[in-house]
Amino acid sequence: MWVLPVFGLLIGIVLGSTLTFQIPLIYVKYMSIAVLASLDSVFGGIRSVLEERFDGTVLLSGFFTNALLAALLAYLGDRLGVDLYYAAVFAFGVRLFQNLAAIRHKLLLQYRSKKNRQLR
Amino acid sequence: MSRKWLVPITIVCIISGFFLSFQLKVQANNNNTNPLSQKNTNLVMLINDLEEEIKNQENIIEQIRNDLSNLENRPLPGNLPELQGQLKDARIIAGLTSVIGKGIVITIDDNSDGLKNNPQDDPNKYIIHYAHILSIVSELKVGNAEAISVNGQRLITNSEIRCVGNVILINTTRIAPPFTISAIGSPKHLAEIVTNGELDIMKSTNYPVTLEEFDEVIIPAYKSDLQFRYAKPVKEEDE
Repeated sequence: MWVLPVFGLLIGIVLGSTLTFQIPLIYVKYMSIAVLASLDSVFGGIRSVLEERFDGTVLLSGFFTNALLAALLAYLGDRLGVDLYYAAVFAFGVRLFQNLAAIRHKLLLQYRSKKNRQLR
Repeated sequence: MSRKWLVPITIVCIISGFFLSFQLKVQANNNNTNPLSQKNTNLVMLINDLEEEIKNQENIIEQIRNDLSNLENRPLPGNLPELQGQLKDARIIAGLTSVIGKGIVITIDDNSDGLKNNPQDDPNKYIIHYAHILSIVSELKVGNAEAISVNGQRLITNSEIRCVGNVILINTTRIAPPFTISAIGSPKHLAEIVTNGELDIMKSTNYPVTLEEFDEVIIPAYKSDLQFRYAKPVKEEDE
């Protein structure tokens, strides 16, 4: 059941490495925020699936608005001379780790309960 | 368990995979092209290479000029010897030949003792600036110096004396202290004019300066290329 997302990831990687268009150096920063936002969405999605409170609309809308807002904030920070970029990186980074921790918890719990059931 | 999550997660996975690999590629490219990431070593190498090339080219120019002067010095028939003489004079005026004659040699150096004794002070007060050299050279010119060189760089009509960061450029060559300024002209006259000018000011602020008069000062020829690409003589009737 996890085959399709992994397959999607592979398709994305192939697309990203074959498509060649230059983006100016100034926008590399915003691209990295987009990367973080998308990773955050992936792990957030997996977490919500495991916690059985998944909502596709929430996930997709959250992904796009988060990425756009983060990029906008970083841009605004550039204009104002405040490094809001780091705030976005920090926020996404923290969420990534939290999601990862929650996923690990859930998986561990599932594994243990399965084992217990088998033992009984 | 329903599978409604499968499609959205796949979409997000595609997008994030795309971003990931794209970003990786961009970063890999950046490391090769961004000079700042390599601490400017590329630029330094480039400069060193170019300076090496300039030296080689200057050697070639010198060889060609030697060949040329050998050809010009052949005995010639008719009124050509007269033209030969004119050409020689023109070369001396242009600074394309080494010259020898009476003159003075000035050496100036950074006031490193002064800086050592006042380490808190602004170091700019203790180093030689291009303006010092410029002033001395101007004064030598006022004193009718016929040929001037700074650290072996012959000053001709298009020679610059320019500050570029912490070095000075003369004839687009980097020169560093101590600076030796040689000039051919009346030694007495030249010495008088500089000791009453910039050299005196520098002495009073404790720069190590020396001035010597010589019967024979050798000043080298201008080594680089000298071409007029834009300037053309005005024709008589146009004037």
